Amino acid sequence: MEQVVCHTDELQPGEMMESTLGKHSIVVCRASDGHYYAFLNRCIHQGAPLSKGKLCGAPAPTDNIGEYNFEKDGDILRCPWHGREFDVKNEGRMLVNEKYKVKNFHVTVENNQVIVYN
Amino acid sequence: MIIDTDVHERVLYEELLPYLEQPWRRYIEDCHWIQEKHMPYTQPAVAGVDRADARIPDGRPAGTDLAFMQEQLLNANSHEKAILTGALDPSPSSMHGWYEMATALASAYNNWQIDKWLDQDERLYGSIHIAAQEPQNAVKEIERVGSHPKMVQVLLPIDDKLWGDPYYHPIFEAAQKHNLAIGMHHNEPPLYYGKWPKYFIEWHTLIPTSHMNMITNMVFNGVFDKFPNLKLIMIEGGFTYVPFLMGKMDQQYTDLRHEVPWVKRMPSDIVREQMLFTTQPLESMKKKDFMQIVDQMGSEEIISFSTDYPHWDYDSPVEALPPNLDGDFKKKLFTENARKFYPKF
Repeated sequence: MEQVVCHTDELQPGEMMESTLGKHSIVVCRASDGHYYAFLNRCIHQGAPLSKGKLCGAPAPTDNIGEYNFEKDGDILRCPWHGREFDVKNEGRMLVNEKYKVKNFHVTVENNQVIVYN
Repeated sequence: MIIDTDVHERVLYEELLPYLEQPWRRYIEDCHWIQEKHMPYTQPAVAGVDRADARIPDGRPAGTDLAFMQEQLLNANSHEKAILTGALDPSPSSMHGWYEMATALASAYNNWQIDKWLDQDERLYGSIHIAAQEPQNAVKEIERVGSHPKMVQVLLPIDDKLWGDPYYHPIFEAAQKHNLAIGMHHNEPPLYYGKWPKYFIEWHTLIPTSHMNMITNMVFNGVFDKFPNLKLIMIEGGFTYVPFLMGKMDQQYTDLRHEVPWVKRMPSDIVREQMLFTTQPLESMKKKDFMQIVDQMGSEEIISFSTDYPHWDYDSPVEALPPNLDGDFKKKLFTENARKFYPKF
């Protein structure tokens, strides 16, 4: 199935919104590069609604103790409860362990409409 | 159904004003007094120490609005009962001075809690806040509100005082007399040698060690022998450390009983007979691992489910536990253990 979830202007880079796709609650994110990404709106840990969290950045892994290199601002979906971090530009994979990911959906933009597919 | 053994309501300081006499009122009203807070860390999660979706839509902090809590927690999860444990702000027993103010704050808090929460929703039960630094005044407060049918426990923070010392025993005597449990919740735990570690993650990882300090102190200071009907619930430390502590205390007691001859039972028996542990924050476990820990405690009846709503490390009643736990055991975990534990239930 496919569904128009919003107009392209409704989300600025670094913003996200809750929507529905059939019976699923989804979260639509616009990353820092302006591209759109969509995920199941449910944390893989305890089911928290990810759309209530924050689209933000995260400190990059580093070899230097005490060093914080904040990066990917607008690309990291952080859970509203336990704060787990998912990279929206890497299929919703969890930063701490890429084996785990939020279910992602294919997204296209046609005639300024953001369309999500399942 | 759930009896949720750890739900944090929060007061705004101005809400305490109608419940405070002068001169106490003016210290908040005119001088904007708030209790000293020491945590050096900034934002461990999206919304500080709260669930980001638990902030009240009008901007007030999480836990300050009964209707919102009813909608998001009590109604959503079929709560039979929820036990309010405060937000430790203010935490009268943690004040490092000015115990008169602490005593006044405790009374004001209890009256506010009864008016705004306990009398407003039949599912809510409360914790009596006291200023334990002066046990005689704390006992007066327990005498004053202890017979309220919905006050089920006396709250003591795990902070820099070890409450098992005989100096504090009048508090336990009064609690036992009024069929109140003692609830202990960490505030500024005496881990890392009484100091804050460098990172929040260190502090949060080792919170159970502060609970272990307190349990060991209470057992070997003879509190449970002196007050055999007293119940102690350890709140928000989880339970996976308990088998280790039971075994360690038993082994030490076997060798060193002569130092504490007032302790007359094996510590693990004291734990099983007089204590309860809230489950949150749960580590992710498979059923086999979870039940192994329960088996090592030698009882299915000393843990009780808690959400810790509205805090960031909330445990969901439908998501946090391993799947496929046995029905009878789940019933104990969600309701019956708490029902059996609290003398007023």
